[in-house]
Amino acid sequence: MSALVATWSGSWRGFRPYLIVLTPLVASIMLINTFLYPGAERVLFVVGPLSATEEGLTAASQAALRVIAFAFSVGLFALTTRTGELIEDLEQRGLGRRATFIISAAVGTVPRMADRAREIVDSQRARGLDTQGGPLARLRGLVPLAGPLVLSALTDVEQRTMALEARAFAAPGRRTVLRFHPDVPGERVLRWGMAALSFLLVLLALTGHLAWLP
Amino acid sequence: MSEAILAASGLGFVYPDGTRALSEIDLEVAAGERLAIIGQNGSGKSTLVRHLNGLLRATEGSVAVGGAPVGRRHVADLARIVGICFQNPDRQVFAGTVRSEVEFGPRNLRLRGPELEQATTHALAAVGLDGRTAENPYDLGFSERKLLTIASVLAMSTPVVVLDEPTTGQDAGGVRTIERIVARLAEDGRTVIGISHDMRFVAETFERVVIMREGRIVLDGRPAEVFAEASWPVLASTNLEAPYAARAGAALGLGSTPTEPALLAALAAGADTA
Amino acid sequence: MAALTPMSLELREISYRYAGSTSAAVTGLSLSIERGRVVGVAGPNGAGKSTLCLVAVGLAPLTIGGELDGQVLIDGRAAGEAAQHELAVTAGILFQEPETQLSGSAPTVWEEVAFGPRNLGLSLDEVVDRTWSAIEALAIEGIVERDPARLSGGQAQLVALAAVLALRPDYLVLDEPTSQLDPEGTRLVADAVGRAARQTGAGVLIVEHKADLLARLCDEIVVLGGGRVAMAGPAGKVLADPTLEALGVMPPARTRLAAAAAAAGLELPAERLPPR
Repeated sequence: MSALVATWSGSWRGFRPYLIVLTPLVASIMLINTFLYPGAERVLFVVGPLSATEEGLTAASQAALRVIAFAFSVGLFALTTRTGELIEDLEQRGLGRRATFIISAAVGTVPRMADRAREIVDSQRARGLDTQGGPLARLRGLVPLAGPLVLSALTDVEQRTMALEARAFAAPGRRTVLRFHPDVPGERVLRWGMAALSFLLVLLALTGHLAWLP
Repeated sequence: MSEAILAASGLGFVYPDGTRALSEIDLEVAAGERLAIIGQNGSGKSTLVRHLNGLLRATEGSVAVGGAPVGRRHVADLARIVGICFQNPDRQVFAGTVRSEVEFGPRNLRLRGPELEQATTHALAAVGLDGRTAENPYDLGFSERKLLTIASVLAMSTPVVVLDEPTTGQDAGGVRTIERIVARLAEDGRTVIGISHDMRFVAETFERVVIMREGRIVLDGRPAEVFAEASWPVLASTNLEAPYAARAGAALGLGSTPTEPALLAALAAGADTA
Repeated sequence: MAALTPMSLELREISYRYAGSTSAAVTGLSLSIERGRVVGVAGPNGAGKSTLCLVAVGLAPLTIGGELDGQVLIDGRAAGEAAQHELAVTAGILFQEPETQLSGSAPTVWEEVAFGPRNLGLSLDEVVDRTWSAIEALAIEGIVERDPARLSGGQAQLVALAAVLALRPDYLVLDEPTSQLDPEGTRLVADAVGRAARQTGAGVLIVEHKADLLARLCDEIVVLGGGRVAMAGPAGKVLADPTLEALGVMPPARTRLAAAAAAAGLELPAERLPPR
C-alpha cells in the first residue's frame, strides 16, 4: 500500500531514509537465510562451500517481506501525519496536558542536548583534552563530558519545572483548545473500515484461512 | 618590537549550513597585549576566538598562532598556547573537587608532581579560591564557579589567555578580582583577550578595543580612540554606547576620557589651568 | 467601616532554608512591594536575592520544598493558603536563562505566549485577547510566527516576559532578567519592563547587578547581604551611598565619579553630566 501511495504522489523521496536503512537489512536477511538455513534439504544452487536452499529462500522472503511491510507502514504514518495536528486532535479528544506537553517538548530535547554536549566538549578541548588522537583518546574524552551534561540536564529540569508552574501548568481542568479539527465523515468511514479489515485479517490468519499466502 | 603572537589574515568563516559568521578579518595581536573584543551577540566575537585554538577552522584566509599557521594542528596542541575560558562554567566543571578541576588542564599538558602542584596552587590563589580546594565545585556559588573556570585556564600557563564574558553575573567583588587577574597576567607578559559587554570594564582593563559587527571588525584602536565622541556613530551603528566616563567627559568638554581616572585627571588639569 | 486591604506583596520576617541545606538562605527579611511601584534588589552573589524571588512568588516552598518561616502576604492574604497555579496568576516570575523558561512545546511565539492563559482553561476569546495584549505590550508582533527555539537571547527573554504578562499578574518578580543578554537585549527588556509596570500598574521586584538599570527603573532599592537587608531606601539615595561597593554592589558610574571627585577636591558640575 505504501508503494501505491508513493507512486501515486509521484515521489519516493520521503521514503528514501527508510530505503537506505532497509537495504542492508533486507540484503543480510536474504543472504543469511538463503544460504545458512538449518536443516534444509532442497538445494537450488551452490556458491563455493555454501548452498542456497529452497526452504531458506522461502524463509528469507517471508522475513524480508515482513520487515519491509513494517518499515513502510511506519514511513507512511510518519509522512502523512502532521504531528502538531495529531497532538491537537488527541488533546481535543481528552488527552491530558501533561502527555501533550511531554510529546511536544520531547522533540526539542535531542538538539538541545546535542548543542550542550558540543559546548561542553569545546570547553574541555580548550583545556587540552585530546579528541583528535586515536579511538582511545576519543573514549577518554567522554569522561569530562558526562558530568556536566547530566548535571546541566538536571538543573535544567528544575528550572523548567519552576517555569511551568509559574505559568499555571498545574491548574485543574481542561486546557483551552486552540484549533478544532472536524471529523470528516469520509475519514471516519475509512478509519473504522480499516480497523475492521485489520481485525478480519488477523482473525482469518489465526484460524488458518490464510495459509495459502507465502 | 613585539612580534605578533596571533595573526588572522583575510579570515572568513561560513558554517556548514551556509551561514556566514566572519568576513575579511585582519587582526594582529602582539605578545603581552591586552585586547578587548566588543559587539552584540551574533557579531562573531566567540566565533573569532574559537579560531585561535582550532575549535573552528577558517574557510577563507588564514590564522597563525605562536608564529606558525594553524594548519591542521590539533586543538590539544594549540591549547598550549591559547587558553580559552568560556562563558558558562556549568558547561565545563566536571570534577569532584576544586583542586582536581583546576588540575585537569595542566595534566593534559603533561605536568606532574611538584610542577603540577605549583601551577594549581598559584592559579587558585590568583582567583581567591585557595582555601577551598577540597570542596565540590557545585557547592560554590555561581560566580565562584566562574572564578574556578578561570583558575583552570590560568593553571595551564598559556602565553595567551582568552576570557569570554568574565564579568557577566559577577558582583562588585568578583569584577575587581577579574580586573586584578588581568593586570597580573599583563605584568607576567601574557597576552590577554577579553570579550565583554561591560564597557567600563573594557575601557579600564584593556589597552586595545576591537568592535565587531555582523562578522566584521568595524573599529580597532585604543580606548581613547574607540570611545571618543568621533567614534560614537560607529558604536551606535551596532547599538553600543561608550562608557559613562567617556560620555561625561564629552559633556564637560574635556576631550576623550574613556575611563574614570582619565576623566578625573582631565578635570584636575582643567582646574589647574582655571 | 471596612478596612482597606493593602494592595501590596508583603514579606514579613522571612527566613528560608533550601531542602537539604543546613543553613538559612535568608533570615528575618521584611520587604514590601506596592502595586505600581518598582523595587530593586541588589547585593553580592549568595546574599539571598534569588531566594527572595522564589519566596515572593510562592515557588519556595510550594514547588521546590524547603522550610519557610514568616509570612508572605499578597494583598493581605497569606500566600501559603493558595495553590501554586493561583499564585502564578497573582505573582509572575522571570528568570535569567531565556532557554529554560520557554516551554519548548509551542511551535510559534504566539502559542508560547498563549501557554499560560490556556492552562487556566479560559475561553478562547479571552485567551486570544490576553495573548495579543501581552504581545502588543512588548512590541513583539513581528516575531509571532517564529519558532521560539530559534530566537536571539533578547528576543527569547521578551517572549518569556510576554508569556508571564499574559497571565495578568498583579505582581512581577524579575531575577536578573538581563544577565545573559547583550547590550541591545538588555535595553529591549529593560524598556519593556518599565512600560509593562507603568501600563498594567503591577508591583515589580527586580534583582539586578547593573546599577544603571536599577537607577532607570526603580523607585526604591533594597541591598541584601548575608541573607539579610543591609540597606534600603529610595533609589536615588541608595545608589548615591558611598558604602555601596563595600556592600558588594558596583555603584553607578556617576556615584563613583562624584565620590572620587570629592575625595580629590575637584568640582564636578552635576547638572551637565549625563544621567546614566
